[in-house]
Amino acid sequence: MGHYSTGIIIILVLAALTVVEFYVALATHSAVFLLLIAALKAILVIWFFMHVKRLWSAEGGH
Amino acid sequence: MAVATKSLHGAVAAHDDHAGHEDYATRLRLNRLGMWLFFISEAFLFGALLATRFYLWGDTRPELDQMVGLIVTSVLLLSSASMYVADTAAEHGQWRVFSVAAWTTMILGLVFFLGVVIFEWGLFPQIYEGHLTPWGDKYGAVVFAMTGMHALHVLSGIVLIFIMWRLARKKHFTPEKHWGIEAAAIYWHYVDLVWIFFYPALYLIGTAHH
Repeated sequence: MGHYSTGIIIILVLAALTVVEFYVALATHSAVFLLLIAALKAILVIWFFMHVKRLWSAEGGH
Repeated sequence: MAVATKSLHGAVAAHDDHAGHEDYATRLRLNRLGMWLFFISEAFLFGALLATRFYLWGDTRPELDQMVGLIVTSVLLLSSASMYVADTAAEHGQWRVFSVAAWTTMILGLVFFLGVVIFEWGLFPQIYEGHLTPWGDKYGAVVFAMTGMHALHVLSGIVLIFIMWRLARKKHFTPEKHWGIEAAAIYWHYVDLVWIFFYPALYLIGTAHH
């Protein structure tokens, strides 16, 4: 389970942000708030799931 | 003499091993760079679709079923979780976990695709009556263009994961060398990343146009 813990935490955060996004949209139709939440979700996906930092990994290993 | 030859063979083999490892590491770095350049080129395509949405719709949006949007988004998010598990399992040589997680991702991807086809496009009116058409108005045209291009990527992602699953069954990958699986995984997460922006753009931003 230890190998997967980071992914599980990130998925829970992404799910929570999706719910927040949904309720923010009900309260206000502001594109700025919604795009900010989307940008935050995107950063989490790029960093933790797409492993962008591996691009600079000297070893190149997994 | 025999000892010297043996030691020379050993040194050559060790050198070959080292060179092989360096070759793989270099190829891996180039593969990753190539993949990210591909993502950047794709971002222009999806960015253009988003720009079209904001130009044509402004602060309005079509009347779409909010529950459908939330459910398909959740399904795609779950598929991202299972793909993460598949990728991590391959990294640790847990091939049974990889297999189950890869199939879970493919099935969830298919559910997402069917959700789009049935509920967003309304292609099966006997199940769900959709009110948008690609030629109807600016709302239908943009919805179909955005979801169509995204659905195409979902389908190609499913095919890619299936190919990787078959190769993994044939013991093509090891925990140290599994670029194919990593590529399929980051491609799938990219498809999810695109939807992270498409979901609010289609369903949440602006007031519903009746």
